[in-house]
Amino acid sequence: MHVGPILLGYGRETARSGNTGNQKDVCVSLTLENFPSATIPPHAEALRSEVKAFIAEQLEGVPAHVRARSWSGFDADFSRALAARGWVGVTLPREYGGAGLDAFARFVLVEELLAAGAPVAAHWFGDRQSAPLLLHYGTEEQRRSILPRICKGELFFCIGMSEPNSGSDLASVRTRAERVPGGWKLNGQKIWSTYAHKSHYMIALVRTSGTSEDRQNGLSQFLVDLSLPGVTVRPIMIGTGDTDFNEVFFEDVILPEDALVGSEGNGWKQVNAELAFERSGPERIYSSLVLLDLWARLLGDNPDPEDAARLGRLVARLAPLREMSVAMTAVLAAGGSPLTEAALFKDMGTEIEQQIPAEIADAVGRRPELAADPELVRTLAYLMQLNHVFSLRGGTREILRGMIARGLGLR
Amino acid sequence: MTDEDTFLTEAFRRQLAGLVTPEGIRQIEAGDAGAGLWQELEDSGFVNAMLPEEAGGAGIGLAQAFPLIFAAGEFCVPVPFAETMIVRAMLSAQGLAAPDGAPLILAAASPTYPCGRLARHALVERDGVPTLVAVAGSGDDVFGTAAAATLAEGEVIAVLSPSPGAVMLAAAAVASALTAGAMARVLEMSLRYASERQQFGRSLGKFQAIQQQLAVLAEQVLSAQVAARSAFAGTAFDPVRVAAAKCRANEAATHVCNIAHAIHGAIGATWEFDLQLYTRRIKQWQLAFGSESYWGGRLGMARLASGHDLTSDFLRLQLGAKVA
Repeated sequence: MHVGPILLGYGRETARSGNTGNQKDVCVSLTLENFPSATIPPHAEALRSEVKAFIAEQLEGVPAHVRARSWSGFDADFSRALAARGWVGVTLPREYGGAGLDAFARFVLVEELLAAGAPVAAHWFGDRQSAPLLLHYGTEEQRRSILPRICKGELFFCIGMSEPNSGSDLASVRTRAERVPGGWKLNGQKIWSTYAHKSHYMIALVRTSGTSEDRQNGLSQFLVDLSLPGVTVRPIMIGTGDTDFNEVFFEDVILPEDALVGSEGNGWKQVNAELAFERSGPERIYSSLVLLDLWARLLGDNPDPEDAARLGRLVARLAPLREMSVAMTAVLAAGGSPLTEAALFKDMGTEIEQQIPAEIADAVGRRPELAADPELVRTLAYLMQLNHVFSLRGGTREILRGMIARGLGLR
Repeated sequence: MTDEDTFLTEAFRRQLAGLVTPEGIRQIEAGDAGAGLWQELEDSGFVNAMLPEEAGGAGIGLAQAFPLIFAAGEFCVPVPFAETMIVRAMLSAQGLAAPDGAPLILAAASPTYPCGRLARHALVERDGVPTLVAVAGSGDDVFGTAAAATLAEGEVIAVLSPSPGAVMLAAAAVASALTAGAMARVLEMSLRYASERQQFGRSLGKFQAIQQQLAVLAEQVLSAQVAARSAFAGTAFDPVRVAAAKCRANEAATHVCNIAHAIHGAIGATWEFDLQLYTRRIKQWQLAFGSESYWGGRLGMARLASGHDLTSDFLRLQLGAKVA
């Protein structure tokens, strides 16, 4: 493992020079130690130039406003081409069709894909969380039948967590799977499932016992084949005309016995393990980078000093966030689950993702008499219509801050 | 970081815990020269830790010096420990001896010089040449921290090799690391206060509005700390890393101080309460040695001049962690 210096002692000791008199000590549980200085090892870095070359070839001529869709861009052919190179499910063991590489290799791969604005959505959710989930909690049969096909780019996954009445309050889900002879019967509805209409499977968090008052208890995860009778997928069009999101209805859907992922009633714990993967990656800081880099290219070598300072201040916010993401990759690679850290990172990361379009809009509009580059305006306008939702996907800002507060011992 | 480095840091923290007291800090702020504390720090040997072993030091590099400077910020060391450690290392690297036992500061052009009143000598830049001069007088202590708004430069003590901008880089890096350390204590004090202070029948920390603010406080503190640590990677201060660190420290400073004092209420700003000892220092470092716009401008120019098409490449190659 390539974890650099872990500076023992940071925040470990309690205050001695504070107003100590009669006050009890507190121990800050979230310190610089939680983000150990980590470097990406050479075996992972070795992948980078190949990935860059592949992307340059695949994305040649694709304009910035299309690349700005980032991990919302769905292109099955691109995902299959990536899979043909062995770059989907890279962290899975070779016996299940993966490349047997570690979390650092995936970091390098994903960082390059996101920086370039590659359309990764088709394989994204399976690659990022469903495959690791099945590897960790799935049965041997599930692993053998599903994982190799994820790695080949044949099976695309979507996530079924939110419901119409369970948004941030995820533990209140009501979609229910009941035991029936030979399997399970699924009834209910999921919402905001990205690209469900183009996916083959959903990993759904549903209730298998109790009621929504039982909260985290009685939840389980299921592998739902979206082609089964009783499944209806209905796209939701948002204001931009995009239809990435879906509602998914389950009406007496009969699932086989082995559709259960992990153990019955363990769903909440399993979902939380997934969330550390979902919130710690570069996709939480790079969603507006195609725009930033287009703007930077247009600034050229002799920019207005105000524009340079604006760019530099954004870079200064990005730099420690990338460090944090590498640090969490090291922790994940070592078997840890940095949930609070990931919440802290994602909250700050989506803030900078939201800030970049706002800053560039300000920079462009600061001198309205100058003609703006048309492609910059297209890319900017696209992100300005979406950046306000960047903090919603994968856990809202308010929920994340609540998790940080819990990590700080306040709840 | 080896076990030995960790041992060094732990030993220093234990020393500081015994040496630095809120009363001592207030005495220095009231006009005391801090000679007693300074002598203790000299005797401890830590101020020479970056000197080679044959010169009585521990031969540590920047990465190992970072946790010591961080600790100086965290324990609110009211004398120029970190500055002296760095200036002595800069002198020693060129075969120059530092004046015996004297507190030194880094005095790149700045509206205020932290610890300016306590320094006997200052490293200034004259036509691109780092030059150690005697401090012949100090102007207003505008933060009440023994800082000086101006310095009167006396005789030249030592002249280093020309290195335009080197004093500014070191000064900003040290300010960023001290800020990072001070913020650790500000977070800790805020968490403690939120858990103890009762309003509406429960502790402040039970209110969601307060929890959300403390989460933001932690975010700002952690990102400033990670950025500061990055400025101490490698063998010499790097303009890109220092720019990011000082820019981030300055931006975070406003959030951190606002939130910490919001959590504490008016009592946190009172003379008797220790929080203000930290936040006044964080504000002094915010004003000193380049603002976020200054360092942001330099960082932005560096990004544009880097030749990289991708900001991610710039982050990775010029701001990423280095192998220790």
